[in-house]
Amino acid sequence: MKLVELARELNAEVLHAGRAFEQAEVRSVVASDLMSDVLLVDRPAPLIVTALASDQVIRTADIVGAIGVLIVNGKNLPVNMRTLAAETGITLLRTSLPKFEACLRLGRALDY
Amino acid sequence: MPLPLPPDQAPLVLLDLLYKLKIRDVMTPSPITVARQDTLRHAQTLMRENRVTGLPVAENSRLYGIVSMDDILRALESGWMDDPVERHMARNVVVLEEDMPLAFGASYFEKYRFGRFPVLDRNRRLVGILTSRDVSAAVLVELLQEFTRLEARLPPADAAPPHARQTTLQFALSPLDFERAGRASHEIKRALADLALDPRLIRRVAVAAYEMEMNIILHSKGGRLTAQIAPDRIELGARDTGPGIPDVSRALEEGFTTASDWIKSLGFGAGMGLPNIRRVSDEFSIQSSPEGTMVRSLVFVPPSPPSTSPAP
Repeated sequence: MKLVELARELNAEVLHAGRAFEQAEVRSVVASDLMSDVLLVDRPAPLIVTALASDQVIRTADIVGAIGVLIVNGKNLPVNMRTLAAETGITLLRTSLPKFEACLRLGRALDY
Repeated sequence: MPLPLPPDQAPLVLLDLLYKLKIRDVMTPSPITVARQDTLRHAQTLMRENRVTGLPVAENSRLYGIVSMDDILRALESGWMDDPVERHMARNVVVLEEDMPLAFGASYFEKYRFGRFPVLDRNRRLVGILTSRDVSAAVLVELLQEFTRLEARLPPADAAPPHARQTTLQFALSPLDFERAGRASHEIKRALADLALDPRLIRRVAVAAYEMEMNIILHSKGGRLTAQIAPDRIELGARDTGPGIPDVSRALEEGFTTASDWIKSLGFGAGMGLPNIRRVSDEFSIQSSPEGTMVRSLVFVPPSPPSTSPAP
């Protein structure tokens, strides 16, 4: 499923549209608030779902070549985070849904 | 003297410096002062002997005013050199605080056109003085370091052909510098992407580099991350200056952590750093003592398939 469609499905705001945002296809998802766990997951171009609003989420997304980051719980972002997303070309989305519900909807949409 | 450092137009690398450095890092600490009852003649002697053009008037670290060379010249003309400084000093002194970023200090020189600003700590005690010369010197030193760093990334002029070339990237890392955390590994990753290596391989090296970088920033007194990129191998080295890992074998167990709650709140400190580095490496080694820790990670680059190599 396309990332754009998923964003709509989760009522997510697009805080930064990264590289190839319109075309990007979501093939795998990693949901964690621990960036060390995200670094462990060995899947190409995942979508990172997290309640952690910190610059290090974008750094981690960059390192693992993530397709984008979805912040859940409508968390407020540190001022730098959006700039960093723009610098690294990572798509940054935010939904007010709690993490469990966001994952549930993602799972349904992706036919998990 | 106004500084040629307009913070709103400076190049990014300079802006970065101006925000990273604090007034405290740059100021002249424990400045020479005069007391309120000292004479202007005494102030002049101090200025001449110490080659400064202004003195804070302070007693027991409490700031009362400032006397400058201009005040002395006026006193010479008007014959009041034996008056106490208190009578002729400037009382409405513009001050800086030691915790402020240097960018603030630089903008003050532009805004107020004074030659120096006394620096106070949180308790309003005089702890230093900042002159435009301090700022220029500090910025110059930092820029030189930055240039050296950038230059280290350039291939030598008479380098061998690209396929036989080895590139070394080196980054200095400061403890708890979260603003810059992740930049070194980002640059290493980018350098590998430029070589069009297998994305899975790039990712393994990037993960190792990132964990190494975060380890230095979170747990050490500072250190250095090095990447040596050769056609057949990529070697990462993380070297810090202490305090060392008391029990290396425990630190290699998944889930063992010494991180504070604060570090955990940033999404780190799950005890996965070293195990993660070992997992993605073909060869891994670690040595640690109170003087420092050295972690080495080696990833082999498989030879490219014959179809992509150039025709003989």
